[in-house]
Amino acid sequence: MTVSQATNERLVSQAEDVFYLNGSGNVTSEPETIKKIPGNKAVWVGIFAELSEFAVFFIAYFIAKAHNPIEFEQGPLALNTLAGTLNTFALITSSYFVAKALAAIRVDDPQKSIRCLSYAVSCGALYLLIKFWEYHWNVDHGIHADTNSFFSMYYYMTFNHLIHVSWASLSLLWAISQIKVGNYNKERHVGLTAIACYWHMVDLAWVIIFPLLYVLR
Amino acid sequence: MTLDKLDITWLTLIVITMANALVAETAEPHLLITAIICFSIAYKGRRIIDNFMELAHANETIKKLMRAYFYIFPALIFLTDAFSTQLAAITTL
Repeated sequence: MTVSQATNERLVSQAEDVFYLNGSGNVTSEPETIKKIPGNKAVWVGIFAELSEFAVFFIAYFIAKAHNPIEFEQGPLALNTLAGTLNTFALITSSYFVAKALAAIRVDDPQKSIRCLSYAVSCGALYLLIKFWEYHWNVDHGIHADTNSFFSMYYYMTFNHLIHVSWASLSLLWAISQIKVGNYNKERHVGLTAIACYWHMVDLAWVIIFPLLYVLR
Repeated sequence: MTLDKLDITWLTLIVITMANALVAETAEPHLLITAIICFSIAYKGRRIIDNFMELAHANETIKKLMRAYFYIFPALIFLTDAFSTQLAAITTL
């Protein structure tokens, strides 16, 4: 036995005592995330590329705010906080259901996994509907992308994020189809794990966007 | 009915979001408010990274990079708010 194997076995043994996978029970047969890359390397390249893109947006926001403090102080007051808050609820809840779906497939319950993914997709659709309503509300209140630099940043960030939610929702639908045909199951669900990680990344980006645009002045 | 780790994480995130919305509607701009909001961003990010993404026990490099993102950006939000005049000065062409 190599030192590496011995170390891995020790880690797994320790984890069996303390690590509960998604709250679904003690991991004794499938400690799939311990010291490993969840999903696959490709999805993590994508996730870090997306987070770098959002990082550029955030830095642009910091600089724009420093140069236009009054616009950025008054901007959040003009926005619809209820819409932003409901969108946050929708994304957090969708992430919760995606994590539940992953836990379900691990304990060989594909029907529950499909159900949870369907709820997650519904939350994604709800997010898009709320955004659609919010953009209409903005127009009715005279808020446009060229109103001032705050609203330019607002549309730049939220529309970009909306696009990410749209295609991530499509990937959840793909995951549902793959569970239905049996391609994702208890033994093999790396693709579902990768999709789940990507979805959580979209949620994480919103965790920063929401306070930047709706809360902080 | 017992709550598992995911349920508790979801409830925590919802409560923090509601608190953030309350701040958005009522609080006047202040550096202390900014600090509290930055802390809430870092905390929410950490909960999602550890419990939803399951990175708490995963590959060290990915875990550290993801966690670092949610230390660095909340800190930058606070610093750019605290030193906005200086930031404007050094970014003026």
